[in-house]
Amino acid sequence: MQAAYRRSRIIAMLLAILVLILADHLSSPTFAFNMGDGHARTSLNQRDANACAPCGAPCPSTRE
Amino acid sequence: MDRFVVSLALIGMVVLGGLVWLETAPFLVVLFAIGIALGVALYHGAFGFTAGWRNLVTKRRGAGMRAQLMLFALTSALMIPLLGSGQPGLVGAVAPIGTSLIVGSFVFGLGMQLGGGCGSGTLFTVGAGNLRMLVTLAFFIIGAVVGSIHLPWWLDLPSLDPVSLIDSVGVPGAIAVQWVGLGLVALWVNRVERRAHGELERSELRLRPVEGSAFKALVQGRWPFVWAILVLAVGNTLTLLVGGAPWGITFAFNLWGAKALQAIGVDMSQFEFWTWDYPAMALADSVLVNITSVMNFGLLLGAMLAAGLANRFNEASRKKVEGRQFLAAVVGGLLLGYGARLGFGCNIGALFSGLASGSLHAWVWFACAFVGSLVGIRLRPWFRLPN
Repeated sequence: MQAAYRRSRIIAMLLAILVLILADHLSSPTFAFNMGDGHARTSLNQRDANACAPCGAPCPSTRE
Repeated sequence: MDRFVVSLALIGMVVLGGLVWLETAPFLVVLFAIGIALGVALYHGAFGFTAGWRNLVTKRRGAGMRAQLMLFALTSALMIPLLGSGQPGLVGAVAPIGTSLIVGSFVFGLGMQLGGGCGSGTLFTVGAGNLRMLVTLAFFIIGAVVGSIHLPWWLDLPSLDPVSLIDSVGVPGAIAVQWVGLGLVALWVNRVERRAHGELERSELRLRPVEGSAFKALVQGRWPFVWAILVLAVGNTLTLLVGGAPWGITFAFNLWGAKALQAIGVDMSQFEFWTWDYPAMALADSVLVNITSVMNFGLLLGAMLAAGLANRFNEASRKKVEGRQFLAAVVGGLLLGYGARLGFGCNIGALFSGLASGSLHAWVWFACAFVGSLVGIRLRPWFRLPN
């Protein structure tokens, strides 16, 4: 059966997504922390038991 | 099998999984793997919430709807005891009940039928190479960002505090309430199907694949509903245990859209939503440490793998999209995104995870989204979409 897509387009799209993810990551506090910046405030070192669920509802402490 | 697509999906999993492993924390690699499994299950099980609801309305067939109810019942029995155990670090999908929820879920239900998929449906069909759904996803993201900007205004309208059945009636009571509620919905679904056809199809109870061996179906699809239900229920429960909160999808769409705006110079901190703890933290940091994003990446690659194994990657894009169908993807996507933000999530984060968390808001979401879906089904013919 003939493929319904062009291989080059699929590769280009996946590479574009990877580049965007990398660009975002390289400018992040997590990357800075990994590179030795111990003061960087990352999601992982701020993660605690009181974190709110990511459902979009405001945390009780955030909104009156 | 489409070796090219399968190879590419596997390479993608290794590259992204490796990146998450090297740069973040092991629990995120586990969540990435769970996302892959969920993507495979959604694709091979053809587990679409949108089509299940539409089949009940237009064809009076309830198997898809009953499969969803079975999924909710099983996951409630798994997750409610965990959430009620008082184990620190576990939070359920519990949200306020008010104008925002009612409007948001109605709009989401309408968008589901026009966009051609719900939160999970949009994501797994995009992973399987469906170009029309890629349009829906793009506008889903735009709608979600607009919704995040408007959400504080909606939250100022009349609303009740979140109601957790676990807090109100305890763990056994919460499971009982959910099961009785789901059972009543199942009775209604059965009644609708019996009135139209005289008997029930019952394909949701099939344990073996319709054709071929179990191994062939496991690898290439199509899975019986029961297989998909088991993977989705266990996957959501593991997500809660590993990540601390149940499975969600649409927060990542907000985040990706907000990051795109930020990249072109928009100051997102001028919008209240993006100053709240969780969104602000997610916006400031890498998508690789955002649980919802990492799981969505896994889901996309899992669906791509499954479509490759089934030799059906990009299959849905063979038909050319007409003008009005394209318009439906645009409008549907915007409504999905906006509705998901106002309704505190999609069919996964608000409905599936909400019911499994024993939250009352999930029932309101279910009812309002179904009414919105009825309106969407009526509008589909105008957009040249088959019912």
